[in-house]
Amino acid sequence: MELYEYSAAKLSAMMEQGEISAHELCESVFRRIEGTDPEVHAYLTLQKEEALKQADEVDKLRRSGESLPPLAGIPVGIKDNICTKGLRTTCASRMLHNFVPPYDATVIKKLRAQYAVIPGKLNMDEFAMGSSTETSYFQKTANPHDLTRIPGGSSGGSAAAVAAGSAVVALGSDTGGSIRQPASLCGVVGLKPTYGAVSRFGLVAFASSLDQIGPFGRTVEDAALLYDAVCGPDSMDATSVRRDVTPIAPQLHASVKGLKIGLPHEYFEEGVEESTKKAVMNAAAELEKAGAKLIPLSLPSTGYGLSAYYIIASAEASSNLARFDGVKYGYRTEHFETLEQMYENTRSEGFGDEVKRRILLGTFVLSSGYYDAYYKRAKMLQQQMTREFVSVFEQCDLLLTPTTPYTAFKLGERIDDPLMMYRCDVCTVPVNIAGLPAVSLPCGRDDRGLPIGMQLIGPHFSEARLLNTAYSYEKLIGGFPPMPRLAGKEGAK
Amino acid sequence: MNIDVRHIAKLSRLHLNEEEIPKFTEEMEKILAMVEQLPPIEGEGTLLDPDHPMELREDKAQTLYRRDELLANAPEVEAGCVVVPKVVD
Amino acid sequence: MKQGYEMVVGLEIHAELNTDSKIYCSCHNAFGLEVNSQCCPICMGMPGTLPTLNSRVVDSAVKMGHALHCSINRICKQDRKNYFYPDLPKAYQISQFDVPLCEHGYVNIMVDGKQKKIGVTRIHIEEDAGKLLHGDSFGGTLVDFNRCGVPLIEIVSEPDMRSSAEAKAYLDAIKAILQHLDISDCKMQEGSIRCDVNVSVHKEGEPFGTRCEMKNVNTFSGAVRAIEYEANRQIELLEQGESISQETRRWDDSQGKSFLLRSKEDAQDYRYFPEPDLLTIVLSEERVESLKEGIGELPNDRMARLMWEYRLSQGDATLLVEVPEKADLFEAAAAIGKAKADELVKWIVGDISKYLNDTGKPLSDFAITPVQLSDLAEAVTSGKISSTAGKTVLDVILFEDKSVEAVIEEKGLAQISDTGALEEIVLEVLKNNEKSVQDYRGGKTNALGYLVGQCMRLTKGKGNPTLMKELLIKHL
Repeated sequence: MELYEYSAAKLSAMMEQGEISAHELCESVFRRIEGTDPEVHAYLTLQKEEALKQADEVDKLRRSGESLPPLAGIPVGIKDNICTKGLRTTCASRMLHNFVPPYDATVIKKLRAQYAVIPGKLNMDEFAMGSSTETSYFQKTANPHDLTRIPGGSSGGSAAAVAAGSAVVALGSDTGGSIRQPASLCGVVGLKPTYGAVSRFGLVAFASSLDQIGPFGRTVEDAALLYDAVCGPDSMDATSVRRDVTPIAPQLHASVKGLKIGLPHEYFEEGVEESTKKAVMNAAAELEKAGAKLIPLSLPSTGYGLSAYYIIASAEASSNLARFDGVKYGYRTEHFETLEQMYENTRSEGFGDEVKRRILLGTFVLSSGYYDAYYKRAKMLQQQMTREFVSVFEQCDLLLTPTTPYTAFKLGERIDDPLMMYRCDVCTVPVNIAGLPAVSLPCGRDDRGLPIGMQLIGPHFSEARLLNTAYSYEKLIGGFPPMPRLAGKEGAK
Repeated sequence: MNIDVRHIAKLSRLHLNEEEIPKFTEEMEKILAMVEQLPPIEGEGTLLDPDHPMELREDKAQTLYRRDELLANAPEVEAGCVVVPKVVD
Repeated sequence: MKQGYEMVVGLEIHAELNTDSKIYCSCHNAFGLEVNSQCCPICMGMPGTLPTLNSRVVDSAVKMGHALHCSINRICKQDRKNYFYPDLPKAYQISQFDVPLCEHGYVNIMVDGKQKKIGVTRIHIEEDAGKLLHGDSFGGTLVDFNRCGVPLIEIVSEPDMRSSAEAKAYLDAIKAILQHLDISDCKMQEGSIRCDVNVSVHKEGEPFGTRCEMKNVNTFSGAVRAIEYEANRQIELLEQGESISQETRRWDDSQGKSFLLRSKEDAQDYRYFPEPDLLTIVLSEERVESLKEGIGELPNDRMARLMWEYRLSQGDATLLVEVPEKADLFEAAAAIGKAKADELVKWIVGDISKYLNDTGKPLSDFAITPVQLSDLAEAVTSGKISSTAGKTVLDVILFEDKSVEAVIEEKGLAQISDTGALEEIVLEVLKNNEKSVQDYRGGKTNALGYLVGQCMRLTKGKGNPTLMKELLIKHL
């Protein structure tokens, strides 16, 4: 077995024991990147030299007898909307094709403090707007399980890299499902934390009130390790919640005895593929066998989730993306004489169609005469949906649903139909609307062999419970399936 | 719902070509048709959320960045300033 | 203004707060430093950055709210005002829209000796924008972001003013209160206090007219000019049978004219919505109450009280209150009860103020105490020393901690007010100046002045002139 195939937890222990060095691990991951990325196209920017330097630093510290945190020396891939000082951060947009942040996001500061190794920046949908990573200005990322298919999105690069072994773990961001949906389609674990659990400082904003950074891992424990490393209050983010945090990874234990799992029927209705429903229900049965109690219930406002989501997210995006005007950073058109021409041409040339669509929609719903009918109504609905979740959590400990209605579709299949694309998010957006934590984890395959994911949703700040349940399931089924075989010149397998 | 995409584009500082206008109009109308399925909301309601009060920052000043770091990404710089086409204000 | 018309004026004042750091980041809130030297990724609107609200900004605004008798919204929020401009790096200004920190207040102003209450609609907090620098030496416009994120409060008045004089009095009152609370430097030349002016006119007895807003009014005297110009412009239009259209105009003070900026149809659509990067502001009742402490008596209230309590003119009261140290000195000296109030004021607004102006130093740099001032005024009014000698005494007591009496003694400034001694001198002068005596008796009353002067010479300037004059008349 090659080093890149091991879990972060295992690699951490191996380094601790002196069985391997961080340098060797880094080399292994870069060999894997060089082998697979010409096909998978997960990375937008690589920094091999810097990564090896970081790895060497870890080895040096370890030799000096220093006791290091669990992520020390672990290569962590970073979604390209998280600012990295001195390392290009593009949001997969022409608009930021040359942007080199002068500062680190808080999560990056935390990773550096833990001596994590950063191999590079991962592809995504442009400004995190999309569900297939096809709206990236630079490249399309392939699903490692079937290179003709999409990896999901918007954190498609992060999910694909972890699935392919070109990163041991990775950070993504989730506004309406952008961690959970690609995790599901790529057969890995992805956690969308409670809103306010992880600092957003340095995450290029899409929809400020919905965005959260979260981890990807090939095992639940890995996702927990990365979550532990980046969560916690931050004085630089007013929306981050001031509370004590205790690491989750060390307390994972395989037990679901007495756990009450709610099954909201709205998540199993129209549009959800039969194979997906079956896989999720099978998983439910496994958990029941292990001592959990299943409770059928209802979340009647679920159907409004997408509408509320597209109004709120687009409105905030239209404002958040207004700063890209060619004045201070990023792309500037060559075709202008006046200031207005510079604004319009910079923005028209710098943004792709999906971003433009959302900006137009967001501008419209905020514009004079429409605010109350759209934005305000959506915000009120958000409160209603949140109350609904809070009340179902009086009946159960967490909810189990499919993550996506269907498995990975073909590249190019839906790119021209925005509405079809938006419906990918039907099971994931209510979680963002209500600010809840949710984890997606693999629960089988469809008849084409494509991964199916299930989603566990919990009350605010129930990450420990969610991850523990996911961990229990992982143990119940004897671990998740191994990494997909990748053809081509990769051969490292 | 009829949407004046030209006006919205102007507000958004996006230049749309003539051939793009019908495409975006149609797409926007479709999206809005979906979005309009929101139920009526009873009561006035407020967007204030006193249950989650904000912590305020202490008034303490510090200088952390050099000008050249901050202007390194600017497309055009002169005399320590970013440059834009001439504005009459 | 033309007879038969009335004007209605409302003002929006923007005052920069004198906090140490900016409103949403920790950069220094400082004026006049090298371009783009007081910036960071947050105030430059870099992708990924987030605002955090400066606690002192909230406190300062609440203090102002208390001073203007506002109700304080202990639960309020901030909103984004979206528009594109090169001096606004995020392309939105964080401000407050429908729930401001303070609202429904008022301030009393004084015009022509009469008090008037001007309503204050609201006070809200927001961030300032950067500065555009123009010049012929370069092809474009330069942007300096230093001012981005400097904290502002916007104070919006009701349309309660009916003349430019009222507007000026309102501006002065607001400025004095800001300075009294020590929350703004109010340096007009640095742009730390600015205003937008709303003006409408209507025929007396008719409903209010359509208002126009004027931007870019950078000084209070400019505001007066802008208001008068605008009222006259509107009256002229009405007189020509035209109607006023609601518009935003730009005031050009150097030309003394305003220019159309945009009409109502082109009104900006700011697409306000709640700032999602910031949570609800929740202030405890204790915190809001505690900010009332230390506000003390406001300058406009003090002015009214000085006028009433000491019968001072509005002019004198204004001059005293403008520099609180002067008013303090006045009141402390008056409290001693020895000297008359108007005599004390005369010394303060006269010779003492001249010293302050000439030296450019504040009153606190001088040694003079209320007791000294009171004694000085009393010595002059009682005739113990002449007013010229009084100035000599002032020269000393401004710098030295000596009693007025000691100075008079030391310098031999006491007037001779002993009738017996003076009578001898008067008789001697009358004897030696036959001609003048004849002149006087012949009806040339100005000869008396000459005789008084002669008496003064013989007493080496120490004779009490009033007394000597009385004695001369008696013997003539």
